[in-house]
Amino acid sequence: MQYGSFTWYDLVLLGQGLSVSVLVFLATSAIGLVLGIAWATVRFYRIPVLMQLVTLVAETLKNSPVLVQLFLVFFGLPVLAQINVTPVQAAVITLSGNTAAFIYVIAVSAIESVGRDQIEAARVFGLSRWQTLRRVVSPQATAFAIGPLIGLAVNQLQVTSLVSVIGVVDLTKIGNILNLRTLEPFIVWTAVGVLYYLCAKLIARLGGKLEARLRVHSDWKGL
Amino acid sequence: MQFDLTVLLPHLGVLRDGAILTAQACALALAGSVVTGALVAMASTSASKPLRRAADIYVDIFRNVPFIVQMFFFYFGLPVLGLYIDAFTTGVVALSIAGGAFTSNVIRSGILAIDPGVIEAAQVFGLHKRTVFLKIVMPIALRTSIRPLGAVLVNLILTSSILSTITLNELTGSAKIVASDTFRPFEVYFVLLVVYAVLTWSVSLAIGALHRRLNRDIVEVVS
Repeated sequence: MQYGSFTWYDLVLLGQGLSVSVLVFLATSAIGLVLGIAWATVRFYRIPVLMQLVTLVAETLKNSPVLVQLFLVFFGLPVLAQINVTPVQAAVITLSGNTAAFIYVIAVSAIESVGRDQIEAARVFGLSRWQTLRRVVSPQATAFAIGPLIGLAVNQLQVTSLVSVIGVVDLTKIGNILNLRTLEPFIVWTAVGVLYYLCAKLIARLGGKLEARLRVHSDWKGL
Repeated sequence: MQFDLTVLLPHLGVLRDGAILTAQACALALAGSVVTGALVAMASTSASKPLRRAADIYVDIFRNVPFIVQMFFFYFGLPVLGLYIDAFTTGVVALSIAGGAFTSNVIRSGILAIDPGVIEAAQVFGLHKRTVFLKIVMPIALRTSIRPLGAVLVNLILTSSILSTITLNELTGSAKIVASDTFRPFEVYFVLLVVYAVLTWSVSLAIGALHRRLNRDIVEVVS
């Protein structure tokens, strides 16, 4: 392609990149949420061996660069296991695991924020283990965790920009393509930055609303 | 394929050089972040409203735009302005600016936690505004925020892996070279993951010890 000025089609490209970024973000957040809560449940029931393994994996994922994790899954895994991994698959696997590690930490502290005495009380009232978890622990833990989770979501949206390095055509990759074609780095990267910024603000605002709703029971209602 | 770590032995030199470059970049970026963060924190705790507003905008932008986008902005943008600086400098500058946004929040809360009586006493002694800030406010604020600053440093180390995308052969960049030399990406990136995890883990341990040592005269409510 000949390099040249911007065309209207570039806006479509940016939109496409944005939708890929958002989809990767939504998919990995959903998978990460389920996985992270599952890991936290393992810890809640103190399942031996599995619990130590989960802690080790979560700590390693939290304390290593996402870029290296992406490389390990995208370049390393296919060679070791003799399988094919597409960039999108590698991105989803890595970011889900990474998100799960952070959600695990939030979930563990959220569960611990519910006092053991409440769980004992629930047992005394004859609630089953599942009922205790579902009716007593999880509503309070969710209200506790929602703030940190929103912060995490804003952060993980930005982490999705790294998947461009392994060839997923997300917003950052589109930025790279447009940058190389038009040689207008200031315009391109400002546009890309603004789009990410707006998404982050949107997440923060929606999260804020959700948080207000979840905490409505503990609000001061007046006398 | 067999998992075999011995293939890495002849390439340890390359990895060591990369690690040294990472350490240099992180050390410089940490210094840059603390300086930037202190300036921004000074603005955000100042009496002037426009300054506070400017500091808020700075933090808001650099926390809500992915680091890789910020870095590309500088890396591709500065040459357009006629500023030809190398990848290392660009990386350190970008890390310092982004790190500064996080550091400023840490230092800001350190400043706000200072007993107003201390500052009033300094003012009563007729000390100049600048002297009060440099000799009284900053030492106390920095000392009490060693631990959160350590978290920023850990983040900086993890984020510095992204510098490999602008042709800088730091730890991750040199691992990429070793991976393509040996055709053993899994081993290379696995070792890299462990190295980063051990590195950041020992940094946070060291920072925790330093924090306790420097704040030993302060009775902590929560240790």
